[in-house]
Amino acid sequence: MAEVSGGGKASREINAEIKRLIAQGETDILVRDPGARHNLGVAVLQPLRLTFDGSVGYYCAGLCDGPMVEIRGDTGWGVAESMLNGTIIVHGSAGNGAAAAIRGGAVVVHGDAAARAGVSMKGGLLLIAGNCGYMAGFMAQKGALIVCGDTGEAFADSMYETVCYVGGRIAELGNDAVVAELTAEDVAFLKSTFSRYFGGETSKSGRRIPRPHDFKKIVAGRKLWNFDKREWATWKEAL
Amino acid sequence: MPDRRNYLQTSATYTPDVIEDIQAKAELGRYRMRGFGALRERRWATFDDLTFLPCTLTRIPLEGYRERCVTKTVLGTRFARKPIEIEIPIMITGMSWGALSYNAKVALARGAARVGSSNTTGDGGMLAAERENSKTLIYEVLPSRYGINIHDMRVADAIELTIGQGAKPGTGGLLLGSKVSDVIAQQRDLPVGVDQRSPARHPDFLGPDDMIIKIEELREATDWQVPIFVKMGATRVFDDVKLAAKTGADVIVVDGMEGGTGASPEILQEHTGIPTLAAVCEARAALESLGLYGEVQLIIAGGIRNGVDAAKALALGADAVYIGTAAMIGLNCNKPLFVEDYHALGTEPYHCHHCHTGRCPVGITTQDPELMKRLDVDAGAERVANLLHAMALEIQILARACGKANVHDLEPEDMRALSLEASMICGIPLAGTNKVFGDGPGWKGHG
Repeated sequence: MAEVSGGGKASREINAEIKRLIAQGETDILVRDPGARHNLGVAVLQPLRLTFDGSVGYYCAGLCDGPMVEIRGDTGWGVAESMLNGTIIVHGSAGNGAAAAIRGGAVVVHGDAAARAGVSMKGGLLLIAGNCGYMAGFMAQKGALIVCGDTGEAFADSMYETVCYVGGRIAELGNDAVVAELTAEDVAFLKSTFSRYFGGETSKSGRRIPRPHDFKKIVAGRKLWNFDKREWATWKEAL
Repeated sequence: MPDRRNYLQTSATYTPDVIEDIQAKAELGRYRMRGFGALRERRWATFDDLTFLPCTLTRIPLEGYRERCVTKTVLGTRFARKPIEIEIPIMITGMSWGALSYNAKVALARGAARVGSSNTTGDGGMLAAERENSKTLIYEVLPSRYGINIHDMRVADAIELTIGQGAKPGTGGLLLGSKVSDVIAQQRDLPVGVDQRSPARHPDFLGPDDMIIKIEELREATDWQVPIFVKMGATRVFDDVKLAAKTGADVIVVDGMEGGTGASPEILQEHTGIPTLAAVCEARAALESLGLYGEVQLIIAGGIRNGVDAAKALALGADAVYIGTAAMIGLNCNKPLFVEDYHALGTEPYHCHHCHTGRCPVGITTQDPELMKRLDVDAGAERVANLLHAMALEIQILARACGKANVHDLEPEDMRALSLEASMICGIPLAGTNKVFGDGPGWKGHG
């Protein structure tokens, strides 16, 4: 494993060192003391194992395709935003817009996620062990959003085909979000996902994960998918 | 005393248009949507309210048809390692593959490349054929992030972070279900046939403080090589341009209210934003107030129809202009071909604004394979190239007449205002006087 010391360095310098090591053929890189710098590990486009030994700022591992990134701390806004593929593990909590607009891969937050987690996600998986803030899943298009704890208000607002699962209390469903029946396939999916990313009944931040069959499933009611004058009451709220 | 039985009295408040609008909404139960851009009469100052002052005895003209007059344009000199160089200061604006057909996108790319200019992706990501046919391609990063792909971004020549557009600032786009075909739905990760409404806000930043970090992310993602543009609809232009410059943009694009759209609520097209003429003046004043005029390049968009509009925009402070609707018209938009299909839409050639329906009679704003065939890519590219070339010639002929060997040397002093409003907005003397009326946000001494 190669190491980069982030202490006192700007994001650009840390990223340049990471890129230099990748160019040298390194496949396992540890960044010590990342100092909550923004934009670390952006646009990594190969199957690299990249570990940040501490908290990171905005857009960590954004625009990636393929890496396995582990963050041993908290993240700022937009962790993994617009990722095409890869696995991003956050040991602590995530700021606003975690996994925003991801098109594939998996983002696992062992703590809590702030507002708009999974906003505009277009595929992949966002798994939150703790709670999430308001408007999580807003305009989400595809993929799966799992919140093991409680959600904030306007949860799953104006979604397309994303499937959400909530283990705790939903403060308020967003526009066009409806509760659907949890099927055996859903339970099997949750079980295998928890087994893969948590490996037990608690997350790395010590959150206890509810049993899969206790989750609620939320999907789009599809009333906002097309303009329809008969749905004027819904539209009035949504627009 | 007139005999009221023998002529129609029309309300100036409830005109036939207003009555029709009210009754249409009473039927629809929603706001009205359409494409194209603002249709109403332009009762505000426009580029038509300015005239050039060619050389007579106080200035020496260049030979209008032959002397060298440079049109080369360089954008992104502030921070990018590889600024873009285009042969003419007229670029193709971002229009999505989805709003536009495959053939239209490829024809625009090929036509722009043929004259050494650029084109821009749009809301929905990059079309591979667009890259293949472009010389200079600008990759738009929009609030929706439809089709976002880092690999596409990294083969672009510039990145444009779009905050909004002139036709509907503050609101995301619309793509009605008739245009969300199998292939477009797949490209955008959407269900087939939905009436897609794009978000207005970016999913991962809100204000300018966050945008500084976002721009740095885009630079990291592209190895600090290519320019970062920031595009905004024209609203509070003076303040917005200053903020955009402070966030670290290399190039700022301001899109005025005359800008077009594939589909939008009609009221936004008609009643939001400020005119392009005012926008360019505010934008220049903003950059001058920061001491960044010339260092941050300025692109102006919104209703630029010809080389005259473009030349006036350059003279007022723009480094380049975007065209969208004009380029589509060059592709045959609103041409009297397939007239029966205009009639089927309830309109006529020269009046069509039905881009939103997906039933474009000339194959530009459609995803219908049969309609799309009506736009031949090679012939369309040729027309786009011809139009861009003609516009560049128009700019040159005006510049030469004003004694300028470089179109970027055109300046406000080369013009006079034809209306009080234009004088006030532009800070240019009213023709027949040596007086600038008003002290608006014009190009002189705004702090």
